[in-house]
Amino acid sequence: MKTGLKGLDPRSKLVLVLCLSTLGVFIQDIGILTAVLCVSIALSTASGSRLFVLIRKFRRILWLFVAIAVIQSIFAPSGRVLVSLGGIKLITAGGLYKGVAMVLRMSIVMVSATIMATSNSREIVQGLVQWKVPYEIAFMVSVAIRFLPLLTDEIKNVVTAVQLRGIELDRIPARQRVKVYSYLIMPVVSGAVIKSRELATTMETRAFRAYPKRTSYMVLTMQRIDYTVIITSLITSILTLILYIKC
Amino acid sequence: MIEPYIELDDVSFAYERCAPVIGGLSLKLYKEQFTAITGPNGSGKTTLGKIMTGILRPQKGCVIICGRDSAGMKLGEIGQRIGYLFQNPGLQIFAPSVQEEISFALGLKGCSKEEIDSRVSRSLRDFDLTNLSDAFPFKLSRGEKQRLAIAAVLVNKPDFLILDEPTTGLDMERRRALSDILLGLKEKGIGMAVISHDRVFIDRLADRTIKMHGGEIVEDRT
Ligand SMILES: Nc1ncnc2c1ncn2[C@@H]1O[C@H](COP(=O)(O)OP(=O)(O)O)[C@@H](O)[C@H]1O
Ligand SMILES: [Mg+2]
Repeated sequence: MKTGLKGLDPRSKLVLVLCLSTLGVFIQDIGILTAVLCVSIALSTASGSRLFVLIRKFRRILWLFVAIAVIQSIFAPSGRVLVSLGGIKLITAGGLYKGVAMVLRMSIVMVSATIMATSNSREIVQGLVQWKVPYEIAFMVSVAIRFLPLLTDEIKNVVTAVQLRGIELDRIPARQRVKVYSYLIMPVVSGAVIKSRELATTMETRAFRAYPKRTSYMVLTMQRIDYTVIITSLITSILTLILYIKC
Repeated sequence: MIEPYIELDDVSFAYERCAPVIGGLSLKLYKEQFTAITGPNGSGKTTLGKIMTGILRPQKGCVIICGRDSAGMKLGEIGQRIGYLFQNPGLQIFAPSVQEEISFALGLKGCSKEEIDSRVSRSLRDFDLTNLSDAFPFKLSRGEKQRLAIAAVLVNKPDFLILDEPTTGLDMERRRALSDILLGLKEKGIGMAVISHDRVFIDRLADRTIKMHGGEIVEDRT
């Protein structure tokens, strides 16, 4: 028997994740966003996700976050100019603030999503079904979750394949770089489309939706800790939002 | 004797959180030889090929390429010397058209326009892909993808080739064409290690046959 947050019902995790990401999306204040991010990290670790392993895996694309912050700040300039280039305001205090907030927000959504990933997809579908979500939709959600790691594998493959053609990624001239990045996305997207088509055909051949009602072998039950988690997270986030809007 | 092109010295490898696949394997591959690697499914042939090209890095032992320890070489550096064909050709196709798939690496390496054009059209002809040159690579059939992947590897003129089951998905005629092309390359002095179950194909080309079982070499015949 799992204890504490590790054994949570997928539905409680879902509520928790929704609360955290709602806070992340609505709040503009960097201080509060940082606090929410800290709470997300703490909860994610407590629920047994492999957060730090994931961060280590994705450290190569962390610079993308910095790029997003800078781009945000270029396109939404306001306030004092910090860096300018030939009359164009490159980095402004207001823009930088927005950029940092954006990065924090994305981090919150991603970190809280790792909480969800600690349930297996079968449990998540079952949780949704018991909440009267139509099975088709629940199934789609589970497929999305199931296929995400495959997508990252695919990107890794393409990166390997490009390098094996004798190309050193860090020596590509800047002008060509965009093109090479587009190569990384292409097979991933078309691979996903092809796979989903095949999956749809397979489901048809196995008579998915042949009967309107399905019986589940697995039945989830909520424990006291589940109710505690749901109620606490709802109350805390609603209070935070109210306080935030009032002040 | 002559220097080996690729040398594996007491190499062991295990996938993350799995039992070891290859344990203490030593092997020398020469540019002057056509080496065939055979063995039952799951005997570690693909894993061995990926270790030789640096896609997988061994936990123990070292891989020496052209006299240099490959641990210090980047994948891009190894790729300039060794051409590798994935067992699943879909994994190494990424450009939006057949022609671009073959030409893009040449463009990045700064070849001239005329040179690229002549090498690409030559390669399209060799692999019978000329009338597919503007096709979308993801829609090709398995055999066409295989030919495209091989063409794209060969156009870079590597010194050594590692091909993982190159004849899978090819019809009899295309197999013959491929073995003709490989024979031509062999005469030009390009070293080759080919993983294959195809007896006819191997018998025609191989100077040396290595048989693997359970991650070990059980037979090495010259
Ligand atoms: N990515 C992987 N993760 C874990 N185990 C793997 C992986 N790839 C292959 N294996 C295992 O390694 C062994 C050797 O596989 P492989 O080298 O592909 O064999 P072969 O190419 O000879 O058929 C098999 O038992 C296979 O299950
Ligand atoms: Mg194999």
